[in-house]
Order: sequence, then C-alpha cells, then structure tokens
Amino acid sequence: MSALRRSTEDAAAPRGLDVAASAAGVAAALVTLAAIYLGSRRLRDFDAALIGYATATVFLAFGVVYRYVVWVQSPPARRYLVRGWGSFLSWRNFRDFPTLVPRELFSNLAFQTFIAKRGAGRWLAHQALFWGVTLATLITFPLTFGWIRFDVVPPGSRYAMYLGGVRTITFAPLTWLGWMIFHALDVAAVLVLIGCTYFLWRRFRDREATTGQRLGFDFFPLVALVAISVTGLLLTFDSALLDGQDYAFLAIVHMAVVVLTLVFIPFGKFFHVIQRPASVGVDVYKRTGLEREGVFHCRRCGAPVESAAFVRDLERTMQELGLRFGEWVETCPRCKRTQRGERYLEQVKRGFS
Amino acid sequence: MMQRTQFIDPGRCIGCQACVAACRECDSHRGRSMIHLDYIDVGRSVASMPTVCMHCEDPIAPCAEVCPADAVLVTADGVVQEAAKERCIGCANCVHACPFGVPKIDFEEKLQYKCNLCYDRTSVGLAPWCATVCPTGAIFYGTLEELLAQRPNAVVSDIVVFGEQEIHTGVAIVAPSGYARDWIPGGLP
Repeated sequence: MSALRRSTEDAAAPRGLDVAASAAGVAAALVTLAAIYLGSRRLRDFDAALIGYATATVFLAFGVVYRYVVWVQSPPARRYLVRGWGSFLSWRNFRDFPTLVPRELFSNLAFQTFIAKRGAGRWLAHQALFWGVTLATLITFPLTFGWIRFDVVPPGSRYAMYLGGVRTITFAPLTWLGWMIFHALDVAAVLVLIGCTYFLWRRFRDREATTGQRLGFDFFPLVALVAISVTGLLLTFDSALLDGQDYAFLAIVHMAVVVLTLVFIPFGKFFHVIQRPASVGVDVYKRTGLEREGVFHCRRCGAPVESAAFVRDLERTMQELGLRFGEWVETCPRCKRTQRGERYLEQVKRGFS
Repeated sequence: MMQRTQFIDPGRCIGCQACVAACRECDSHRGRSMIHLDYIDVGRSVASMPTVCMHCEDPIAPCAEVCPADAVLVTADGVVQEAAKERCIGCANCVHACPFGVPKIDFEEKLQYKCNLCYDRTSVGLAPWCATVCPTGAIFYGTLEELLAQRPNAVVSDIVVFGEQEIHTGVAIVAPSGYARDWIPGGLP
C-alpha cells in the first residue's frame, strides 16, 4: 500500500527564504519609511528620541508582510483570501445584503461577540485588552512617526496638536481634555493590565487554558504587554511624583520592551491580530454562498453539509494539497463514520462470526 | 502509530455510552463530549463503533493541512491538538476534510473542538477518559506491547485507506485474529 502514501518531504522540509514574501516585506518597509519621512514633513516634526520605536515599526512592517505573504500561499488560505476579499468588496453582495459587512465588522472585529460565547470573563478581559492596545497603537505610531506633535501656543497657557504640520485642536493642559490627551496612554495601559491580569490568572488556574500551553507562545505575549504597561505607567509616576529623576532610564527601558514586542509580533501569538480579519471575509463568503447557491446535502443521508460553493472549493483545496479523497466532503461526518463502521463490519470483523 | 496510544476495537464496543459521558470531563472541552459513538446498522444489528481523533501522521493531519489559519497544531509527540482558540476562524474546513468525521464546530464561538487524546491527562501519564471507563476494552490505552500481552492474537493496524489514499494514524485499530490485510478500509465507496 505504500504507493498510496503521500510524500512526507514537502511537509517536513524546512522552508528557505521566500522571494515573493521578501519582496513584499521590503516594499512594506519602504512604504513605512516613506510614510514616516513625508508625514513628519521631511523629518522636521520627527522626534529623534523616539527613533527606536520608528525603527522597530519598519522591521515590524517587513516581518508582518513577509509572514502574511507566506501564510496566504497555502492552498486553503489562498482560496479564502480570494473568496473573502471577493465577497467583501462585491457590489452585488453590498446591494443584496447591505448590512452584512457592517454587522460582521462590528460583531466580529470590534466587539468580538464570539468570545462572549466562550465565556463572559474572557470576553470582558479581551475587550479591555483589545481597546487598550488599539488606543495605544492609534497614539503611539503617529507620535513616533512624527505625524503628530504638540507645541505651546503663545503666550503659553495652551497647547496645540499638529497633524502633518497642520494645527488641529488647542487645549489647556490642566483641563479634563488636556488630562485625557496627555494620559491617554496611561488609560490604555490600565485597560491592558486589566485584560492581562485575567488572562494570566487563567493561564495559572484554568485547566482548559493550562493544557498544552507554551511559555513562548502563551505566556510571553502577556508578560510583554504587562511589561509595556507597567514601564509606561512608571514614566507617568516618575514625572508626577518623583520630579522625573529617573525618567531617562525608564524611557529607555520602556522603549526596549516595546521594541522587542513589536519585532516579535510576526512570529508569535500576536499574529492572530493580522489573521482574525480573515474571518469576516469567510463569513460573508459562506453566508452569501448559502443564499445564492443553497445548501449541499449529504450524498448518503440528505442532511445539510455546507453551502454548495464551500463544498466545491474545499474539494479543490484538497486536490491541490494532494489529498485524494476530496469527494468524501460530499458526505456528512456522521455518514463517513457510519460507512467506515459498515466496512469494518463487512470486511474486517465479518459480522459476529 | 504513537508509542503510547489508543487502540480502538469496534468489535468489542457494546454501545454503552460510558465513553461519551466520560469525555465530557476532559478539561480542554469541559461539558462537551468529543467522542462519537455511532450505531452502524440500526434495526438489523447492535453493532456500534466509537470514533476518537486518529491523530493522522500522513505527513500532516488533513484537518491541519486544510486549515486556512494554521490553527490546528501538532505537538512533537504526534498529538493533533484542537484548534488554537486565538487562530480558529470557524470556517469548518477541518470538519468536512477529516476522513474520519471527527472535528466538531461551534459556529457561535467560531471555534473547532475535537478529541485531543485528553491532553490534560495523557501529557502527565494518565489514560484518556474514554479508555479509563470503557468496560469492554473497545478503547485501550497503552503501548502495542501492553495490548499484545493482554490480547496475543490481536491484529493491529495504523493504516486506513480511503479510495486511492492511505492515511497513517497515530491511533491504531484492532482487527480480529486472522485478518490478513495490514490496512483497514476507511469507508469511502
């Protein structure tokens, strides 16, 4: 029977450097550099003290795009990439199902209601983590790129925020608005700490989470987020209560932790942030496919399997992967098991004899 | 075949559902049973068959291969784990590509669930729940030597054939003595 066995070489062989992914990664890094250069008005608004963050972001752009391109080259990911984006951008889908995409974006990406189904505590913690990280990202990247800067408005009682060199809002620093603007990253850090505390507790105490957990994959991201948040809050603590006596040291420690975390994003658990939006495209593809082509019924028992488009596409994916039992997709899981049992009864055990 | 693994002997299954009840105790999917117990020829026979994840090795489990999000990880000991919660996008590719009909999916949670060889137990040297409670030995957990010490005439196979494809599995199937082939038919007509 060995002739029927697939080669293990493809799966086992280590991958070399991927040329297409490298090219895409370099292009992303160059675009990031150009965005920093132009957005900071040819570096006039660029804060040299934050160069570590900006440099790490350039590497991050390369790493994320490299991994993304490698990821979407696998037959199942490539098929869903095409189908997902095709469904997402389809004018026909927008016309026939105008609320589908906004609902998906709202429930799937922004509020992650699917996590609430897994547990209320996990959902609340993940929401705190998500909004904390989102807030921090929206502030940190434009700030370190030199896209945003703050300056004193003469005679000195108010601050102005400049975006791309253009003055936007002005505010008094000692007002509620001023406090929020200057402490938004502290608010983000508190949200992140709330989320991380719950998830770290879970990693130590909940046996569902502890089964099979890995130090680098499951613990390191949480520890990194805690380190970023704590060192960030220490900067505020230092300037508010210690007259900033260790500010320079703390700023370097904070930057080192952030830089290490940024360059880690493409390699570990954080990459799910890049992958998760795919679920929106897949949902839109599956729901519109069901509406248009209807459901595929099991060849044996007639039970619904999936949308006809899904069954057709999965068969193609399996063919591309060298899995030569693609037609088995047309049978529901229960009938697959039952038919295997029948063959066992007929050909292996041969009844009760 | 994994060194210490499950041996499934459908000929011994009496359909008592003890494995189904015990499976709910597994910490990685508390309250949900991942084992399938199917009655094969209802109305004409009492034959039943338990189905656990076969932890395919050929070369990667089909469920992992068809996953668009790299969510199904295989640990170094050969155990095909259930979908990683942060990665699974709930597409159901694995559910329909698995030739054994093993994975389940919760569309509301956007999450696949499957038998993971009771990893909370087997990773610390305990037997999986189903094998622990099976009263007839239809699900045996141990090494091949331990099985043959108890059932010297048993024939064991870790190859299941689906049409033109043979799948090598980490979990083995037991056939009666005298069974001449080294593979088990997978059921694909």
